[in-house]
Amino acid sequence: MTTDTIPRAAAGPSRPRWLSIVGILGVIALGFTVWLGLWITPPDQVQGNLARLLYIHPPIATVALYWAGGVAAASSLLYLWPRTRSLFWDRLAASAVEVGAVFSALTLVTGSLWGRPAWGVWWTWDARLTSTALLLLLELGYMALRRVPADAAIRARRCAVAALLVAVDVPIVHFSVDWWQTLHQGGTVLDPGFHLHVHGSMAWTFLLGFIAFSLLFVWLLGVRYQVEVLQDEVGDQELDVSLAERWSEGTELVGVGADTSGAPDGGGT
Amino acid sequence: MGMDYVDAGYIAALVTVLVYGIGLGLRRRRWERAAKVADPATPVTPGGRS
Repeated sequence: MTTDTIPRAAAGPSRPRWLSIVGILGVIALGFTVWLGLWITPPDQVQGNLARLLYIHPPIATVALYWAGGVAAASSLLYLWPRTRSLFWDRLAASAVEVGAVFSALTLVTGSLWGRPAWGVWWTWDARLTSTALLLLLELGYMALRRVPADAAIRARRCAVAALLVAVDVPIVHFSVDWWQTLHQGGTVLDPGFHLHVHGSMAWTFLLGFIAFSLLFVWLLGVRYQVEVLQDEVGDQELDVSLAERWSEGTELVGVGADTSGAPDGGGT
Repeated sequence: MGMDYVDAGYIAALVTVLVYGIGLGLRRRRWERAAKVADPATPVTPGGRS
């Protein structure tokens, strides 16, 4: 139960069929990406087999940065905008940030596994790497802030502001390779003129990797949103029951007090 | 060159997505059960369950 006047979602999130279909398609696409990436595509002329990591690393980073960051930022803006204020946007932003944190961590891990043989180091304070690590820390901070007990409206407002602070880092990550000439290379697939760097089966595998992780992001986001709705509903119901019980106890105590004060022997027991 | 790193990267990606996805599914099921338990059979009023 909250004191706010924010429109709440209908009770009980359903399990939409389309979401399950998206999840299944995502798993199938990921399976084909792995098959093509590890066994079908040829080794790169320069990087050899190491280039196979690029069929998954940039797609994972794209999900972490643009899809999750974009959904979180847009949802938070829509929550803060009075005309569109709804807990739907708050819950969607929270879901996007958590899924984004998983993909941000995975971006750093797969990038590090590529960087060790390519650059000779697991980690360096490169602008792209550092700003991506900062993105993960900001996402973890958002998740910690969300666990601070507060009224739903207050929590939603402060989390929306926090999500916008997280989103500030997204363009910094994107343009870091242009703004600072550090170790990380520029565009892997497209250069600033939108010219494709990969061709043939490598290009198709790359595209399939983007589709696979994008579909999986939508599925994970949808399931995480359902969890968020259920958490809120159970919390509200438990609070309703607790308040009703306290109210009932208080009423009984008042009744007992009235009876004893009115007793002929002065209320002693 | 670097096939061990490639394998490790693919395993990390697949295992992470799989574990997180299964974890989310389990969380959803747990909260669905909690919602059924917490949902009172009779409506709650400020004076207690009616």
